[in-house]
Amino acid sequence: MSLVKRPSPAAQWYLPGILAGMWFTLKKMIYNIFNQKKMVTLNYPEEKYEYSPRFKGNHVLTVKKDGSIRCTACMLCATNCPAQCIKITAAEHDDPTVEKYPIAYEIDVLRCVYCGFCEEACPVDAIRMGPEWQTAGLAGSKFTYDIQQLAYRPQLKGGVQSVLDDQERHKKGI
Amino acid sequence: MPKLKINGKDVEVPAGATIIQAYKASGQDICHYCWHPGLSVAGVCRLCMVQVEGIPKLQIACNTEAKDGMVVNNNSEMVKETVKWGLDFHLINHPLDCPICDQAGECGLQDQYMQFGAYDPEMAEQKVKKSKVVDLGPTVVLDSERCILCSRCTRFCDEVTKTSELGIFNRGDHSEIGIVEGKPLNNNYTLNTVDICPVGALTSKDFRFRQRVWYLKEADSICPGCSTGCNVKVHYNEEGLWRVKPRVNPDVNGHWMCDVGRNTYKYVNIKNRLLAGKVGRRDSWMEMSPNDATRTAGMRLKDVVDKHGPESVALVLTGQYTNEEYKDLLVYFVTGLKLKNIFHWVNNPEKLNDFDGLLFRGDRNPNTKGLEAALKLAGSKGRWEDLQAGLNGKKIKAVVVAGPEDQSVYPDMNEKVALFAQADNLVWFTACPSDALNGSGAETWQIPVKTHAEKAGTFTNFQGKEQKFPLATTIVPQALTLSEAAEVLAGKELNWALRPKSLGGAKNNYATTERGAL
Ligand code: SF4
Ligand code: SF4
Ligand code: SF4
Ligand code: SF4
Ligand code: FES
Repeated sequence: MSLVKRPSPAAQWYLPGILAGMWFTLKKMIYNIFNQKKMVTLNYPEEKYEYSPRFKGNHVLTVKKDGSIRCTACMLCATNCPAQCIKITAAEHDDPTVEKYPIAYEIDVLRCVYCGFCEEACPVDAIRMGPEWQTAGLAGSKFTYDIQQLAYRPQLKGGVQSVLDDQERHKKGI
Repeated sequence: MPKLKINGKDVEVPAGATIIQAYKASGQDICHYCWHPGLSVAGVCRLCMVQVEGIPKLQIACNTEAKDGMVVNNNSEMVKETVKWGLDFHLINHPLDCPICDQAGECGLQDQYMQFGAYDPEMAEQKVKKSKVVDLGPTVVLDSERCILCSRCTRFCDEVTKTSELGIFNRGDHSEIGIVEGKPLNNNYTLNTVDICPVGALTSKDFRFRQRVWYLKEADSICPGCSTGCNVKVHYNEEGLWRVKPRVNPDVNGHWMCDVGRNTYKYVNIKNRLLAGKVGRRDSWMEMSPNDATRTAGMRLKDVVDKHGPESVALVLTGQYTNEEYKDLLVYFVTGLKLKNIFHWVNNPEKLNDFDGLLFRGDRNPNTKGLEAALKLAGSKGRWEDLQAGLNGKKIKAVVVAGPEDQSVYPDMNEKVALFAQADNLVWFTACPSDALNGSGAETWQIPVKTHAEKAGTFTNFQGKEQKFPLATTIVPQALTLSEAAEVLAGKELNWALRPKSLGGAKNNYATTERGAL
């Protein structure tokens, strides 16, 4: 069954509606010209909006004190991710106190819905959602972020340090 | 036959059975670590506490014999409290590193904590630190911190393999599982200790860190490693098979399987498989779909039979296929082509009756008995000398071989390819590629076939026991089973809509690696 909705007779008189709309726009324009401070729009990209610190932008993999990656490759983030866009390959570390670490960690940010479930799931503060959100690229493959991009991209200036340190925790007897 | 009441339910158990067995028989939950149905009773974990009417103190169910008229329960407050704090004691020094523990998801501690524990920990003391990565041998790694000292693994080595490699060293909370220097845990059954370890203390080097267990599905199967035919479960996901674990069958393998059998998943995976049919000879191969390759092979066989009679074709079978496949293939060759030259290729005749006393047998084919029965039914009395003479005398113009699925157990592969290639035409059904075949001098059809995990069927083990198994997963969807191949050889069409498809699914994040330019 298809429903055909005919325009009501009143709607056929569209010209007054359009003129009313244009009058509103004109009013706002004149108001804004004289009250530029109160304007709600931004002149992007010259001006940028300051998001709250809780903003969920591009992912950051944190690092340990020695600069190596914090992630233990537990795959809890990948398990929790509703978009299933995290792919981790785990391996055995030479150092027995580290045991398991990721040799590959990839996030397909084009499939990511920026829900932050990965950061919620991580038991060791190894993944965080950072403040960056302006990411442009020309090829789809540019949006598969690897460890290099997630942990050591230039913007991070050598990496963000995790708040959880295994050595310190072990010293405390945990 | 004592009759007793378990949590208000009447159960009858065989004389001499313990209360824990009565619990298992009645299908009721009971917390336990150290008891294992395949091992002796140790009574060390103290978690299987039950209240028996008439006995003032709690008893451990695993070491108390069930007596007629007993009234037992484990749901009273007293039992629940005891089990709860018993669990807390087990976790005092446990590192709780579930995120990097391979056992997470199938761990006794996790399960029992959720079911019987669920307390807020009250231990304020520091944990005792022990070694995290202890190499016990070629197959097993120990994490001493995770061990709860249930002694299942040491009892397994003492009682089942009788090799006693493992022992408990030191005292108190410094007790650790270990090996004596110079005597690593190295026998053909080591990985069973990984299975029975209720926590993640013992892990398999082969499986360690490769998958989280919740990404794996499981299916029943039969081990194709030898003629014992242990009942197993294969664990797989979209990427293929990852491990094999034993399934309980008291008539065949009990609770165990051998380490050789655990490796049988490897050749099933796609990177080791022949994916397309290959037709040609040494240095000049043409790839085509398995279906087309089989059809052209079928036409050639018919030509040869028409020109030179049925004596000019020989069929060689190995004991690696299912009873159903033998039947279908033989129906086509015996009634369709009127073939009499049917031979059984035995890979290691001198070791055929070897047995290690536990499970593993020298006959490395899962279905030798089934093949023998099928050959008998088909009236074949093919003797190997006849085949050799026929090939040398150029009487045999075409050889059809249902080759080994697992080529590593056929050391005479090269030799046999060279022998069969004396015929002008060679049709070879194989699951995996083989260098020997690629060097064949005859005009050869290499046709990819399914492995045991990709088809349903029956294997007859050394006892003559027919064991059915279902299709687990499909790795190479285009490969044929021998039954399908028999149909295609006869010129029939397969119903492609009905054939199993390969898994594929969302868990496979292929998009992250394969997407190109937008
Ligand atoms: S933010 Fe959400 S969708 Fe994106 S990777 Fe994390 S869990 Fe997955
Ligand atoms: S980022 Fe965190 S949750 Fe994800 S694998 Fe690494 S440690 Fe586990
Ligand atoms: S290693 Fe595992 S099976 Fe052995 S005693 Fe420890 S917990 Fe038990
Ligand atoms: S004993 Fe034979 S059937 Fe059993 S697991 Fe080992 S190879 Fe497989
Ligand atoms: S199962 Fe009874 S004491 Fe461990």
